[in-house]
Amino acid sequence: MLSFLLRRLNLLLITALILTIIAFAVDRIVSVNADAVVSHNGYISQYFSYLWNILNGNLGHSSVDNQALLDRGLIFFASTLELCFTALIFSSIIAIPLGLLAGLFRNTRLDYGIMTIAIIGLALPVFWVGVMAVLLPSVWGQVLPVDGNLSLIYEVPVVTGFLLIDTLMVTEQYELFAFIDRVAHLILPALVLSFFLITEIVRLTRHSMTMVMRSNYIQAAYAKGFSRTKIVFAHALKNALPPIIPQLRLQLSTIISFAMTIEIVFNLNGIGKWLFISLKTGDYLVLPAGILIISGFILSFSIFIEILMVIISPLRRGSLYADK
Amino acid sequence: MLINNGFNEDKIQSPLGYIWSIFKTKTIAVVAMWLIIVLIIVSLFAPWFVPHSPLAQNPESMLLPPYWVEGGDINHILGTDDLGRDSLSRLFHGLQLTLGGALLITLLVGIIGMLIGAAAALTKGVKASVLHHLLDALLAIPTLLSALILITIFGPSYTNCLIAISLSLLPQFIRSSFLAIEQELSKQYIVAIQLDGATKTRLFRYGILPNILEPTITIINRLFTMAIIEIATLGFLGFGAQLPQTELGSIIASSMELIYLSPWLVTFPGIAIFTVIIIVNVLSEGLRHAVLEGEE
Repeated sequence: MLSFLLRRLNLLLITALILTIIAFAVDRIVSVNADAVVSHNGYISQYFSYLWNILNGNLGHSSVDNQALLDRGLIFFASTLELCFTALIFSSIIAIPLGLLAGLFRNTRLDYGIMTIAIIGLALPVFWVGVMAVLLPSVWGQVLPVDGNLSLIYEVPVVTGFLLIDTLMVTEQYELFAFIDRVAHLILPALVLSFFLITEIVRLTRHSMTMVMRSNYIQAAYAKGFSRTKIVFAHALKNALPPIIPQLRLQLSTIISFAMTIEIVFNLNGIGKWLFISLKTGDYLVLPAGILIISGFILSFSIFIEILMVIISPLRRGSLYADK
Repeated sequence: MLINNGFNEDKIQSPLGYIWSIFKTKTIAVVAMWLIIVLIIVSLFAPWFVPHSPLAQNPESMLLPPYWVEGGDINHILGTDDLGRDSLSRLFHGLQLTLGGALLITLLVGIIGMLIGAAAALTKGVKASVLHHLLDALLAIPTLLSALILITIFGPSYTNCLIAISLSLLPQFIRSSFLAIEQELSKQYIVAIQLDGATKTRLFRYGILPNILEPTITIINRLFTMAIIEIATLGFLGFGAQLPQTELGSIIASSMELIYLSPWLVTFPGIAIFTVIIIVNVLSEGLRHAVLEGEE
């Protein structure tokens, strides 16, 4: 176990170093005109001072409004994460039962129907669905708001950056209205993002359910004479669901990429829109900061998930020892 | 009765021929295959048969609706945009860049990625470890972000957009082809080939490649789908095809201000992207099932 943790930590460190090198290279390229004076130091020493700055939490300041890039970026990224997380909840509620059904009744009408829905979800370009969703108010009337994070009438101080939590903290001022407003603003973008996620989760759940239903212990349970319902609920579900999590982890960067697109379409204040607007106005220094924040999160989150999987799933723990 | 088998040629089908004969029985997949061939031909030869030039402006007929809507014109089947340019012609020309770019990316990334994935799976030690760490770092950068980086450095153009998308899809493809090969490597017939003393290339060509057809189809299908969506997304954000070029995503972006006035300008390119992806997915599902049945 300890050697596993050390190996993961090692991986985290090396990959993080590579990422900082990429960020440094981008930083040098975009700021080559800004500070040509310092560049006679040589790239190696420059890199180490850059690294030292990163470790101190200093990613530089925006060249447009002179704000600290790290603080701004983290606040925007929190809102992106909120969107991704809400979409994940939506799509899990819809997709996991569908995937389980498709896996249980493989190659039947039901299975084909569910897989057709899944393929349609994949084939719809996310930004286009977003644009179509922005059209909705003109069809149905003003049901759900389609732009911005929060109505402008609410003044919510930034505490955690997660607006869902921040709006709950100002309840004595606005009661629950700010929170409800935030939820209303989140519903449509999250639904649009979950189109893609539903496809992924249905596919993964179906595959893992099929694999489990074919395995020997399920056959043994059938041989014992258990009913199908009991087998599914007592044995199959417990073993079919955990393998989905590490698979979904591989999709994390795609999900964040789509979330960034949706933010631009829906005009949400997330990291995607922040990068987009800053690049359009010529503030190129946000790029290395964006790389470090987003990739740093994806990296640490995937290693966290991997360690978590080893802790909660005995099967993974077993394969750890079998490797030796 | 005289039975003479001496002149009967018993032809044993090759595995690919067998898969093809199974594939031919799947009507929907065959239809999808022909549709794709038609789409490719249409997008290749679009300049020769579309009724109007995609850039020809016509102040007489601006913002026409499709012809089945009140006020439409049969000369412009899908209507016109705010400069009087024919939507259908623009759609075909857009398909040229979107579909063609996606096919190009799929071909390039597929070949390079498969080779690197095989190299990573078949080698051990420092080489494989360096590759893994590099890949892990690249995988942690989302596609949109790496496209933004490359486009900021090299400037927005259609070629740069294609390069950016290939570079960001490559790590994902390498990772999945690596996993497919790795799974195959642990099987017993591979061990048998290795015991025979086969070299790595021979092992890959004759041992592994014919047996990873099914996962390969899945990941290539995924690669193509992502490539189309990414090209359209970058075009939509204004980082892909630049103005005189027509690309489905950039057509959508340029009609965004008119979305309440003539929503079909935004609707049709989206439906075109959707249709292309659906057709490709149906074809790949058919192929996959044919391979699976052929293996059994």
